[in-house]
Amino acid sequence: MSLLPELNEKNLPWIDVIHPIIVHFVIAMTLIAVVFDIIGILKKRSNLFEVSFLNLIVATIAIFVAIIFGQIEAGLANPYGSSKDILNYHSTIGWSLAAILSIITGWRYVSRQNNPNNLSIGFLFVDIILAFLVCVQVYLGDKLVWIYGLHTVPVVNAIRDGVI
Amino acid sequence: MIIYNIFTKYFYFLNNISSPITEIKNSLGPNDLPYQIPIHPNLVHLTIGLFAIGIAFDFAGALYPFEKRILRFLAFPVTRVGFHDVGWYNILAASFITFFTVATGFFEMLLAVPIENVKSIIGQGAITTMLWHGVGGVLILFILITMTIWRGYQRFVFRKDFGRQVSWAYLFSGTIILLVMGLHGSLGAWLASDFGVHITADQLLVNGLELDNYLQ
Repeated sequence: MSLLPELNEKNLPWIDVIHPIIVHFVIAMTLIAVVFDIIGILKKRSNLFEVSFLNLIVATIAIFVAIIFGQIEAGLANPYGSSKDILNYHSTIGWSLAAILSIITGWRYVSRQNNPNNLSIGFLFVDIILAFLVCVQVYLGDKLVWIYGLHTVPVVNAIRDGVI
Repeated sequence: MIIYNIFTKYFYFLNNISSPITEIKNSLGPNDLPYQIPIHPNLVHLTIGLFAIGIAFDFAGALYPFEKRILRFLAFPVTRVGFHDVGWYNILAASFITFFTVATGFFEMLLAVPIENVKSIIGQGAITTMLWHGVGGVLILFILITMTIWRGYQRFVFRKDFGRQVSWAYLFSGTIILLVMGLHGSLGAWLASDFGVHITADQLLVNGLELDNYLQ
């Protein structure tokens, strides 16, 4: 008798993986925030800074939810071969990104209090690093799904049968 | 006898029909793509994220009179216009990107080799799932563009002088579309998780190949 729910054919307690769904909002909101920052500076449209700031806030909230589900699903993923290392990197960068995003959003909040119509070049520099980190993180997550097939039915079956 | 002949002829065609993928099969990786990681699922993050948050912020703008006090209590200085700006620019970006989402989706669908004899959780086979997902994708693109044009008219013409930039009908439509998108996204997710489309490990396992030779 177990208090925990039974795991399905994807080795999950729920129908489909939830982490990639929440991650939509981290990826889309950070990347578009950077794009709006750049357009805002180039076109001198300060209302786009407001748009990117609010998108950043959504991303910062979403990343913590994404991490919670990410950790549960990573714990149930049974990584094999090199996917173990990739999953470790993905988790480490994930937690770091949560910290980095929070700091950046905080910085943005403070600079917005001072002058909402201005964005420093320093912030733009940080923006680009952020976008790069998000892309690396997406690439690692993509590898776990599209190459190693974690939480897909054939791989889960193969692991249960001891094939891999 | 005649029927038997027709049958064998028919099945001969089915088994030996040359499809584009058999022609270029040799230049594709074990995941049936010319590259390692499918592009469509990555662009999907942007389509869904931008549309969902765009609608969410328009809700925030529409319900501004209710949340005003909470925001003041939190000392979080935002304006109604700011919320509606997010609603407008996010849906604009979503529409722009969705053209690429659908285009890459079709490219990758043409190269898809789903695992045979599998049924999704709602009992659909691979081809049915894929066709619904493909047709649904074009429909959603069409709906997104319509919504963006509608949103633009509300912003610049219909409700130019209104504090609440969007009509309740727009917000209601957005909510319904998000639900449809959720279902549509699930079809796409099952193509990967159940039918193993473009997943290297799944394709290797189904074809009885050694994972170690390909996955380092």
